[in-house]
Amino acid sequence: MQHIIETHDRVKDFDWNFSYVDQPVRYPTKYKIPKRTKDPFRHLIRDYCAMEQEKDDRQYGAMTDVMARAGLPGKTSRRWMEIMKLVLPVTGFGEYCAIKSTGQLVDTVDNAELRQGYMAQMIDEIRHTNQVAYLTRYLAKHAHDPEGFANGIALRSKSIQCRAGRAALQGFFACDPIEGSINLQAVVETAFTNPLFVAMTEVAASNGDEATPTVFLSIQSDESRHMANGYATLAAVVSEEDNLPHLQADFDRAFWRQHNFFDPLLSAVYDYWQEERSSSYLEKWAEWVDHDWAGAYIRKLEPFGLKQPRWFDEARERMYWVGHTAAMVVFAGWPLMFWRHDPLTAKDFDWFEKKYPGWYAHFGKWWEDYARMADPSSGMFPLQLMEHLPPLCRVCHMPAVFPRLDNCTMRVRLIDGKKHAFCSAACEHIFREEPQRYLGSPTLFEEFDGWDMADFVQQNGFLRADGKTLIGQPHLKEDRMWTIDDIRALKYEIKDPLHKLPVMQEAA
Amino acid sequence: MTQGIAGAALRRDLTYIKPTKRRLTEYEAVTLHQQWETGGFDKGGHFIVPADGRAPWRAESTALAHPNWFAFRDPAQLWQRPYVRLQGEQERAIERMTEDAVQSGAFRDIDRRWLDDYVAGHYRVWSFFENGLFRAFAPAQREALSDCLGNVLCFQAFDQMRHAQAIVSLQVAIEDQIEGFSDAGAKQRWIEEAAYQSLRKLCEEVIATSDWCEVAVATNLVVLPLVAEVAVSGLIRKHAPLHGDTLTPFIAMTAERDRRRNLAWTQELVRMVTAKDVASASANRTTLQSWIGKWQPRALAAVDGLRPIAAAMPAGAADVTALTQAALARQSQALAEVGLAPT
Repeated sequence: MQHIIETHDRVKDFDWNFSYVDQPVRYPTKYKIPKRTKDPFRHLIRDYCAMEQEKDDRQYGAMTDVMARAGLPGKTSRRWMEIMKLVLPVTGFGEYCAIKSTGQLVDTVDNAELRQGYMAQMIDEIRHTNQVAYLTRYLAKHAHDPEGFANGIALRSKSIQCRAGRAALQGFFACDPIEGSINLQAVVETAFTNPLFVAMTEVAASNGDEATPTVFLSIQSDESRHMANGYATLAAVVSEEDNLPHLQADFDRAFWRQHNFFDPLLSAVYDYWQEERSSSYLEKWAEWVDHDWAGAYIRKLEPFGLKQPRWFDEARERMYWVGHTAAMVVFAGWPLMFWRHDPLTAKDFDWFEKKYPGWYAHFGKWWEDYARMADPSSGMFPLQLMEHLPPLCRVCHMPAVFPRLDNCTMRVRLIDGKKHAFCSAACEHIFREEPQRYLGSPTLFEEFDGWDMADFVQQNGFLRADGKTLIGQPHLKEDRMWTIDDIRALKYEIKDPLHKLPVMQEAA
Repeated sequence: MTQGIAGAALRRDLTYIKPTKRRLTEYEAVTLHQQWETGGFDKGGHFIVPADGRAPWRAESTALAHPNWFAFRDPAQLWQRPYVRLQGEQERAIERMTEDAVQSGAFRDIDRRWLDDYVAGHYRVWSFFENGLFRAFAPAQREALSDCLGNVLCFQAFDQMRHAQAIVSLQVAIEDQIEGFSDAGAKQRWIEEAAYQSLRKLCEEVIATSDWCEVAVATNLVVLPLVAEVAVSGLIRKHAPLHGDTLTPFIAMTAERDRRRNLAWTQELVRMVTAKDVASASANRTTLQSWIGKWQPRALAAVDGLRPIAAAMPAGAADVTALTQAALARQSQALAEVGLAPT
């Protein structure tokens, strides 16, 4: 141990002031970063490699030796397995963005001690990216229905949820490196990886999915070091008084952007794809995000002047409904997805009413109608019941439908001659601060405006190997699957709702 | 594919990766298309960009051009698990040999001047150079235009830091065994001693290079084949045994193993961007050759600066000219293998 401390102390002293060239500013930062802080884990490569190798051997060994031979993935709840087709490409991309974020931090944070932590995290994030890709391939080989695992990555850029994920997760590095660290380490890894990698594994395991917990818990075992990186970075930054105004603004923005993607997504995944039912996402959110993150982690930073994120209370209020609304939109647009959607049963209805009193009054009828439209003979799919598609937010690319369709905070504005929808006052505020950051891509509905849905499905690869049957289905039955002919018969045109929606005046 | 649901065949492997051989390898499966390729593999644009409005990944991040950066394959087929296993094995071997040296008292058999001037001195000074390369490769991986290239750059960043830390760990182990042994002056020598200033200048220039392909080409085709070859393989690995030091050469050889791997993938990168079917192959070759021409004199100056260090070896002066000629011959061969030349 003494050797480790001695070695680490000397490794901290690797930096020097350049004499021959100017150090380039590749990733400009508005923050002042002090030279001295603490890397609480004293990362040294020798110990790091030994530790990670052992974890890898355990995880990959379990997957190849025990689970595959016992055929466990094929015995998993089919309902649950379907949503992993979305969870995995989103998670994998988050991990990939984290590799890039830590590369920026190594270059920007002129502090050899913190660089040690970032370096270990950089390799960890490659680890996680590889693990998630490995799990995806593993499930393509072993799951009952591999379609969506085998090709989900190819479909991600045509998926509302994956695009929204990219809009949030690129916030790890498409920004000031410290803002990236706040998004990645202080918000996502500290607030949201627990619900994702810990709480969700409980649901996975109770639904017969042993592979996902094996991988996710192994990932999470690295996350505590990343949280410490985030905390050490924050602690360094808050020690400079001039940084506080920037820090609070970035913190506010980071929390909202990540909440606005993760919470509707995780809530829908957690609550609507469980078959063997346990706790609700709302309960897990209260424990991990509200109590542990806001209540403990943020409180520890308050003496330094950092306050709870600006829109946290609003987020807490929205939590009751956002998952239900998100699930409704996902199920309603099932032909545009690359996974299957199991209608809710009477048992599910009881669980929802118990966990979310008042749920039936708002959503029960819709789910009864959904079940009736699951068979292709109905000649209908749920989006047809809506007056128009939900507009997609210019900032977060999520449908502007939250917290609930009948009381959503969507607003349409005309800015510099162009119509924009925003899902919330927060996203509008974020856009108005730096509009140039959010104008680099059309939304999915702008991009495919005017397409027949059958053409969208066919030309973008949403069909199975027979070239006829859709990958996404509104049920899990082996027969009565929807084909491209059924979709073509619907004559449904994707219309960008912004054409029709009136510009809303701002409150005086 | 297997027969399955509703009579439709089921695709049982990842369909979005074009394998280079008949079957998709594990390396390809876990590596490729993790990075979004806007305007290529993926639709849509950039949903969020930095405040300066620049795209997060930009073709202009390198002077080389290629229609598909995702076509690159690491000849070592490394992904995280085999990479960490490889480095774990190397580090365990170093640790065991160090333990054995402690148990056998081997450190006490080493020439004391060698220990003080070359292990605590020259080799420890070299650790700053290794650390500098880590700092160059971390942002290079950030900028890479594909995951398969980003990952090899990332592994190399880790390699360089591993070498730096292994050198520091060695110092700490020897301090326990040899009274008065200390590396305390190494940083000052790195910053001030005339013999190391061309080396330090070179290191700062590599760190300041923002073209991620240039960082790789300069480091792996010029800087390490010449400078590491003379400064470490020549002065340390070859001369340590003459002073009774059998451990230090072993540590240096683990770095040489990494160096061979990094040379191989960089050669593969050169082959990819200069392949006959690449429209910009000729322009790429010109750029690559200009980089070699730019870095070659800098690297040779760094080597030349080490002459006083080589001259003071306790067991007799090392011949820097001969070491440099040998390094140049090996480098010429490596460059010739990919159609490039030293100047």
